[in-house]
Amino acid sequence: MRQAGTAMKFSSIKTMPKNVVRDTMKSIERNNLMSAASVLSVIAALIILGIFLILTINVQEVTKDVESKLELKIFLQSDFTDTQKETIEQALEKSDLIENVTFESAEEALEKFTVSLEDYAPLLSGYNSENNPMPASFVVRVTDPNDMEEVQTLAMSFEDQGVEYVRYGQEYVEALVSFNKFTNTLSIVVLVVLSMISIFIIYNTIKLTVFARRREIGIMKYVGATNAYIRAPFILEGTLLGLMGAIVAFLIIRITYYYILGLVGGNLFLPVDASLASPDAVMGQLIFFFLLYGGFIGAVGSVFAIRKFLDV
Amino acid sequence: MIEFKNVTKGYDKNKSNALKNVSLFIDKGEFVFLVGRSGAGKSTFIKLLLREIEATEGSVYINNFNVSKLSKKEIPFLRRKMGIVFQDFRLLENKSVYENVAYAMEIIGKSEKQIQKRVPLALDMVGLSHRMNHYPHELSGGEQQRVVIARAIINNPSILICDEPTGNLDPETSYEIISILEEINRRGTTVVVVTHDREIVDTMKKRVLTLEDGILKVDDATGRYGYEV
Repeated sequence: MRQAGTAMKFSSIKTMPKNVVRDTMKSIERNNLMSAASVLSVIAALIILGIFLILTINVQEVTKDVESKLELKIFLQSDFTDTQKETIEQALEKSDLIENVTFESAEEALEKFTVSLEDYAPLLSGYNSENNPMPASFVVRVTDPNDMEEVQTLAMSFEDQGVEYVRYGQEYVEALVSFNKFTNTLSIVVLVVLSMISIFIIYNTIKLTVFARRREIGIMKYVGATNAYIRAPFILEGTLLGLMGAIVAFLIIRITYYYILGLVGGNLFLPVDASLASPDAVMGQLIFFFLLYGGFIGAVGSVFAIRKFLDV
Repeated sequence: MIEFKNVTKGYDKNKSNALKNVSLFIDKGEFVFLVGRSGAGKSTFIKLLLREIEATEGSVYINNFNVSKLSKKEIPFLRRKMGIVFQDFRLLENKSVYENVAYAMEIIGKSEKQIQKRVPLALDMVGLSHRMNHYPHELSGGEQQRVVIARAIINNPSILICDEPTGNLDPETSYEIISILEEINRRGTTVVVVTHDREIVDTMKKRVLTLEDGILKVDDATGRYGYEV
């Protein structure tokens, strides 16, 4: 009996796909209202998820962009000595927290300032190297913006040994870093909650179709169909519903996103000079995630839905 | 071949057992009636054969195989050795007669070629060739039961189990159904018919097993209904 069983098993797997696909299509067609409802719920969940995903990707991109532009300025006292300058420079260069250090002399600072004033440059014409009001400074780029404060502490340890004061966009950096963390956490929470909701909705839909076909399942069991054979069309059905939802949701989001981008014209109304993530890259990530996600929740929902009905 | 060895089945500890120490042997190629009042243990008997439930004590053998020892994965392959006919037919309403029978072959992975060859033969055997493309709701009860029989024998089972096959049919149709079962039996299939139908049992003169309150009361080879109503 065991041997005969194995032989039949192989042949049943061989002919399965055709029947399974046929049954699945029939089932989706027969339960068109319920199927539409679950596709809609996946669409709704994925649109919300998509908005959060786009938000997260862009906040990350903006943060990265802003972070890479962040500098810390260590201003030197007007009467610093060359020895003091050397000591400070060496200390900064030795630190792991710092990516690079550039020295800006008082003359360079004045020159830069003059250039930046453009039309008003003549205002500074009275100043020269004799009475230069600009302090010399070290311009520091840190490896990780979270370490800004530590670098500041390091620099301030040279206070009265040549360092006058340290300046960076402290509040701004902190706000940006914490906003980034916030959107990340929020996205994960939204992902988990919406996944559970979507799985639950698919679960219920497939349960309805399983219930509608429970007689058929019972007959299949009595005629000797294997559980895998019985399960396959339902899992396929759930996965298909999930994938359909994913594709529609993606199209809606894509059209809307490009439309909004066109409206704001890349203007972010942010107080800094930062750019959004490239829309094509965002959409690439999005469709990949959507398909994976849609298929996954469809399959998971179906597996749960059919489990109970297989015990005959 | 079906053998019960001291089989006891209890569903609930507080209630008396549905089957009590039942031992019986049905040989290959036999035609057996199983009779008894409602609650005598007939359904339990069938469920044990199909391994829908497991015996509390004792063992059930089918074709020398201990059914109680089968793993869950092997149950479908046990069921392929048996054909089952239900009182309530259990046909798929949205499939034609042909499709309903073909379905049983598709499930176990037979090729389209085999299906096209075998289904008409089975339908011919039950006398329904002319109804092949009809749907169950277009058929009479007797015709529907014949489709079920065709479905049950399509995979050449060694045992055919019929649970009240004539329960929903008038006497004349019932005799037609029973004679089809007899014909199947003549071709070598073991047939077990669970029934209430006293008249049929008495006229058929086959072996009769009588269950009463879970006990095998009578095992009568001469074929008389084993209990008085």
